[in-house]
Order: sequence, then structure tokens, then C-alpha cells
Amino acid sequence: MGDDGAGPVVIDRLADRVPESVVLVESVGDATHLLETWRDAGLAVIVDAVVSGGVAGSIQRIDGMQGFPSAWRSASTHLVGLAEAIDLGDAVGVLPAAMVIYGIEIDKVEPGVGLSSAADKAVDEVAASIVQLCEDYA
Amino acid sequence: MTNAREISVEYLARVEGEGSMRVKVVDDKIEDVEFSIFEPPRFFEAFLRGRPHTDAPDITARICGICPIAYQMSSVHAMEDAFDVTVGGSLRELRRLIYCGEWIESHVLHVYLLHAPDFLGYQSGIHMAADHREVVERGLRLKKAGNDIVALLGGREIHPINVRVGGFYRAPTKKELQALVPELEWAKDAAVETINWTAGFTFPEAELDFEYVSVCHPDEYPFNEGNIVSNKGIDIPVSQFNEFFTEEHVERSNALHSRVRGRGAYHVGPLARYAINFDKLTPLAQQSALDAGLEPVCNNPFKSIIVRSVETLYAIEEALRIIDEYEEPAEPYIAYTPKAGVGHGATEAPRGMLYHQYRLHEDGRIADAQITPPTAQNQLTIESDLRFVLEQHLDLPDPELSWVLEQSIRNYDPCISCATHFLDLTVERV
Repeated sequence: MGDDGAGPVVIDRLADRVPESVVLVESVGDATHLLETWRDAGLAVIVDAVVSGGVAGSIQRIDGMQGFPSAWRSASTHLVGLAEAIDLGDAVGVLPAAMVIYGIEIDKVEPGVGLSSAADKAVDEVAASIVQLCEDYA
Repeated sequence: MTNAREISVEYLARVEGEGSMRVKVVDDKIEDVEFSIFEPPRFFEAFLRGRPHTDAPDITARICGICPIAYQMSSVHAMEDAFDVTVGGSLRELRRLIYCGEWIESHVLHVYLLHAPDFLGYQSGIHMAADHREVVERGLRLKKAGNDIVALLGGREIHPINVRVGGFYRAPTKKELQALVPELEWAKDAAVETINWTAGFTFPEAELDFEYVSVCHPDEYPFNEGNIVSNKGIDIPVSQFNEFFTEEHVERSNALHSRVRGRGAYHVGPLARYAINFDKLTPLAQQSALDAGLEPVCNNPFKSIIVRSVETLYAIEEALRIIDEYEEPAEPYIAYTPKAGVGHGATEAPRGMLYHQYRLHEDGRIADAQITPPTAQNQLTIESDLRFVLEQHLDLPDPELSWVLEQSIRNYDPCISCATHFLDLTVERV
């Protein structure tokens, strides 16, 4: 993966840095998988690569319970996307108590090239932010 | 005076693919129908050259997030064909079992969240869920029964990593498999309910003359092994795929169109498998299909939603059989020695036959790869269906006509079906 691998790399960088009660899960964003993953969760933190016209490496953090940015809907690399998962979860009553979404603006997506320096720096920042988020939540 | 109208359905560009549909009608006569898709496997074919053959299952699995097992299976069968490796016994059964999991999760996703809303008048599964919460929850639970099989055998639910040439990296214990049984027993009943539910939909009239093509095994409903068979006389070993089927460039489109050599369009997927292999379904699946009003051959593509539901029931029953009879293998894979050669593999992805061919160097590195996915094979047939639907429904206003055209595309559960949530539809009148 290229910069589109930002989410999984954040998971790698969170290993051993979050409490045992935190479950780290890689997802292609399939709505039903997401629903099962966050079912009964107190806090769900989602990290995804986005292409919304921003500067590569920039980070947006939003409250997932307060609506999904329309600019991200068409940029997802997912099959049935995160936005639909949130809408579907709302319809059938399967949402976490709280949800934070990080969007990392990406650049290159060619397989095998790895993260660009901008995305690499953003991934570090997001991982650190999530560690703090988990501490605050606990 | 010429009265021309052009209906264009554009999918927004997405990383994993894009597609579009354009229809031009002049003086109530269809002038042009074009359904185009972007084909990511072409890129992966080039990416595989020079890489170890052991990379192919995991790399090709990334082509499609909803059917990674199909890509893994076609690739390992092709490699084993080149190396003269035969995988039998429990390992062969485990391959069928993981395929059951993929069919269940893929079919249920499509039936409940992508296709049923078309029949019930909803823009999406999300809109449908608001009015049919219990039904959608049944679908979500049913899909999870498939996810659990893939997660156990594939090592993880998403992008499974446990499949390898010769078998698996790790084989499950009997106890691990038996833990799946209670939910699969529930799923069996839920699948019958799904068949009855879909059979109650209202279907557009259509009785089309398809050339159905499917893998066909003498003793079992096809997942991994068998000849390539059509209802119009083809019965060939997988190695002869390119002798009977061809991909041609069409001037007005960037995509390659698959054809039967000397004939034309053909149809892969649930309707084809069902028509060619009805006698190999379980008695319950056969009876449930007949009770739902299906004949042993179904030529109405809109009823593919019922056939997918029947195949879901079959996959659940087959999974229960495999788990019941399972004996832990002594080793999780068959040892082999790579050699130079060419290998072919054709297995049945949820949405149709998926063909892989690899030419391999003596050390096992990949010299060339060919990947022919089901959606590309169905492209001409989808266009043909669209033309039929247009002829039947030209009197409809554009919004209703567009609806039934999109529904026609979704009959094939193309890999881009997910993108219909992002449809940007424009209707032009000249």
C-alpha cells in the first residue's frame, strides 16, 4: 500500500501503547463488519485515509455521532463505506456510545511504495492523539 | 423531428474502481447502450511479474475486499496445477468450507443491503432498515455467520492471510470448527426465511436466452474444482479457457469485453451455477428453490436474488456437513517443489467464475499472470440485459427507467455495486 495504508500503520504504531481493554481492528470498511466491531463499545476510534482536497498529511478529527463530512463519502477506498455503516448502525440501533474519526489526507496510493513523509508524520501524530484519548477515556 | 434522450449514470471515481452506464435513445429507438467498468486486475497482473509465486494468494486477495477467498483459491489452484500438486482430504474440505463463508457473507450483503431495496422501493439498505429493522438485523446476523467462518479459517475476517499454496498455514481444530455449529444451525433456518422473503418480491418479466458458464464437478456444487461447462455445449478442462473464451477490445470503451469465441456474450454467476448444477444442491436447497417458484433453470436475471438466497442455504448446509465430517489433518499443507511451467485455476467467486493463469520460472517466480474476473466476463451480458430492459420500459419516465436499469446492473452483483450509493445520475434530453 501507499498512503492509503495510513489506517493500518496507525494500528501498528499503537501496539503496546494502549490499555489491554482497547481492541485494535483492521477493517476494509465493510459496513456490517464495522457494526459488529463497534457493537456494545463505549468508544470507537476510527482512522481512515481521505482525499478531500486538503494538504497531504493534514489531519481532521470529527465527532462521528455528529454527522459525516460529505467530502469524505466519495473518497473512501471502502466497499460499503464508513458513512453508510454509521447510518445503518443508527437505523438498527448498533452504534457505540461515542465515536471519534480521524481523517488523514493522503497523496500516493500505489501498492508497495509505503507512506509518504507527510503521511508518515501524520500517522505518528494520530497515534499519539489516540493514546491520549484512551487515557482520557479511562 | 429527432427526439433524442440520453441517460447517463456516472460513478464517482474511487480508488478501487469506477464505472459508468450510458444509454442513448433516438425517436424511441435504442441507438447505443454502453456499460463500462474499470478493471483493477489489469494492474495487479503487471504488479505480480517477478514476484514469488507464494505472494499471489495474498496480493490478488487485495483486488476485491468482498471476495478475497475467490482470488486466493483461483491463484493457489493455478500454482498447484503448474507444480503437479494435488490437495485432497481434509485440506480440500477446508477450502470448500472457507469458500462457504465467503459466499454467505457476500450473498447476504448483496441480497439484504444492495438488491432487496430495489424491489421494495428504497434508495438503499439504510433507508430500508428504517422500516424493516428486524429483516435487516436478520441479514446482518446471517452475514456474520459467514464472516465467522472466514475469520477462523482465514486467520482474520478482513484480508485473510492463512491460505497458501498446498493448503493452509494453520489448520483449525475440530473443537474450533464445532463452535461455529450453533450459529450455523440458526443460519440454516434464516436462509430458508430469506428464500421465502425474496420469493415474495415482484419481478419484472424477463425470459432471456443466456449462454450460462460455470465450473462443474461431477459430485458436488462447484466451488474449487471441475471442468468449465456451458449450457450450449462447452465442456472443457480449465487449461483450455483461452481457447474457448477471449477478451476483445471494443473501440468505444476502454474495457476488454469477454466473449465465447465464435459466439458472443456469456453469463457467469449464481444463475449459471444454478442452471448447470441444480442436481448437486442439497435436497433442502432444491426443495426450497422449487417452493419459491423457481424451475431448475432460471432465465430471469431479476430472480438472481432468489438464487443467491438458495446458494446461501446450500453454503450453510455444506459448511455444517464439512464441520461434522472434519478430521484434523496431520499437516496443514502439502509440501511441493516449484518448477517452470504454466498453471490454470478457475473457481467460483460469489459473483461468478474467476480464472487465473500463471507462467512460472523454474525458481517459482511469476513470469506472467492473467486474471479474468467475473464482472468483466459479464459485461457484454449486462449490456444486452440493459438493451432488453430499455425495449420493455421505454415508455417509463426517466427516473423510473433509470431505477430499473440500475436494478438490472445489480442483478449481476458486480464488484462496483457498492458504488451505486454514490451514483450521480444525469438525464439529458436533446
